[in-house]
Amino acid sequence: MRPSPESAAPPAVDHPAAVLTDSVRASARQRVEAKIAEATQETNLLGTFTLFVKEMERFLTFALQSLISPALTTMLWFLVFGYSLGGQLSEMRGIPYVDFLVPGLVMMAVITNAFINSSFSFFITKVHGTVADLLVTPLTPNQIIIAYTAASVVRAVAIGAIIWGVAALMGASTLHHAGWTLGFLLLTSAGFGVLGLLIGILARDFDHVNFIPAFLLLPLTFLGGVFYSVTLLPAPWDTVSLFNPILYMINGLRYGMTGVTDVSVGLGLAISAGTVAVGWAVTWWLLTSGKKLRE
Amino acid sequence: MMHTPLLRIERLTKTYGDLTAVDDVDLSVEAGEIFALLGPNGAGKTTLISCVCGMVQRFTGRVRVAGFDVRDDYPVTRRLVGVVPQELNFDGFFKARKVLAYQAGFFGKRRAKARARRLLEDFRLAEKADANTRWLSGGMKRRLMICKALIHEPVLLFLDEPTAGVDVELRDELWAYVRRLRDEGTTVFLTTHYLEEAEHLADRIAILRDGKLVLLETNAGLKSRFGQRWLEIRFQEAVGDDAVARLGADSVRRLDDRTLRFSYREEPSTLAQSAIEPLLNRIHSEGLRVAAIDGGASSLEDIFRQVMRREQDASPVPFPAVRPNPADN
Repeated sequence: MRPSPESAAPPAVDHPAAVLTDSVRASARQRVEAKIAEATQETNLLGTFTLFVKEMERFLTFALQSLISPALTTMLWFLVFGYSLGGQLSEMRGIPYVDFLVPGLVMMAVITNAFINSSFSFFITKVHGTVADLLVTPLTPNQIIIAYTAASVVRAVAIGAIIWGVAALMGASTLHHAGWTLGFLLLTSAGFGVLGLLIGILARDFDHVNFIPAFLLLPLTFLGGVFYSVTLLPAPWDTVSLFNPILYMINGLRYGMTGVTDVSVGLGLAISAGTVAVGWAVTWWLLTSGKKLRE
Repeated sequence: MMHTPLLRIERLTKTYGDLTAVDDVDLSVEAGEIFALLGPNGAGKTTLISCVCGMVQRFTGRVRVAGFDVRDDYPVTRRLVGVVPQELNFDGFFKARKVLAYQAGFFGKRRAKARARRLLEDFRLAEKADANTRWLSGGMKRRLMICKALIHEPVLLFLDEPTAGVDVELRDELWAYVRRLRDEGTTVFLTTHYLEEAEHLADRIAILRDGKLVLLETNAGLKSRFGQRWLEIRFQEAVGDDAVARLGADSVRRLDDRTLRFSYREEPSTLAQSAIEPLLNRIHSEGLRVAAIDGGASSLEDIFRQVMRREQDASPVPFPAVRPNPADN
């Protein structure tokens, strides 16, 4: 006698398998052909715009935290350094210290918020698993970069504008050249927006996302001449400061707002544009190759 | 196009360091099919469909949807494909209706409001359309994920463990919806380790183990090839071992002193002649009195276990035929 291999009893079957008929096959083939015709004609500009709008709406759903809070924090810096401590300084580089301070504070808020917006937004989709919803779409790497970066630019520039507007109401006079001002705001926020996306793609936990703003951006921004002119630094720190790229961005905006700068504005523009280009290229490579994201 | 498989996977291999998650898999799915990919946890099912859908693109081999390469022509293939991931996900920033609107927009679908409304109604989410997704129950989140996968009207839908963790009512609804989708021309590829699901839905079934495709058969063919039927007979008196031996059955199991279960290969054309009738004749000639007879066929679950066991043993010996009576050979 040999034991049989089967289990005790089969389950009751009350759902007969569906039937694959010739008409079902024909219907499916027709649908496929129609869908191919549709899919090969579309350019999907709507896809980019949708992702941009979604990112905008995401930070607007918590506007108190994403817009008002950073603007308020920066205004506190402005009050403390511009009016309280800054009252001891009559001027810096030939302009009122309050005017000197505003571009630095605006740029500090722009850099931080542009970076945080895209890095946290993308990383949180990985945490929640909704990144899958993005990865299965026909959006190209450039479309994803454009949408995330544009949303970061809008958030960062909006915060910068709030700070600038409140400072103007408090007596600061800071609009020397609108073109340079806008150019540096857009380029810098785009650069850190795309770098934020890059870190969001690479990050595996929240520490990775927090590390860059806390341990890199904040020190470099503080040491990049937000509160002082680097010409006041003793050697060799005045020379060392020239290796800080954020110094050029702050001074570029300061030139646009006040006409004063410690460094070449043209070099600042090149460094800002270079940040965008490098960040874009690396992010594009990651998205195209699938490294770290589609593995 | 008419003769191109809707999905063609050729020599697909995906490794993670030393681990080979998908190992040299070849597979084709025709338009209109419901195809089930079975396998234990970690077999590589999710990795395989991730390679098709764009969630994984660093692999070797070739994957084409309707003749388009999923890496070179992804703007086309991803419009053809929809996927419901296994893991529940939700975007806690948005309402259900908005989530669908955005997902449609990503695929370039204009005027998707009507379709979103219909999907929300079909999946009993209409009342929750304006609720933030974080407040939906697990079952609702699962249904919303299916809506998301369908919003751009894919022709090939991947369902990765669609009924994992859902109640029986929702499971039945999903099964009915899958059949309806197929009737409307959508090809369905589902992964599952609920064998009942594959048994009830699929036209063809593949079994993946350790990343390798170990079996690919039609649902009916699988049962015909590996399936067994069983006959359970309860006698009026206890049956001794000597009497059981004289019955000459090759595969018999004693369930208790009065009940025996006989198993035989499921071969409908020869069933009556080769299995049941000789057995009943011998029971009669032995003078055994029957109290009750029950019978049935092995389920896909039984077959799956057999195939898994066979692969685990890695035995060169082919799967043994279960013969009702050696004397019949």
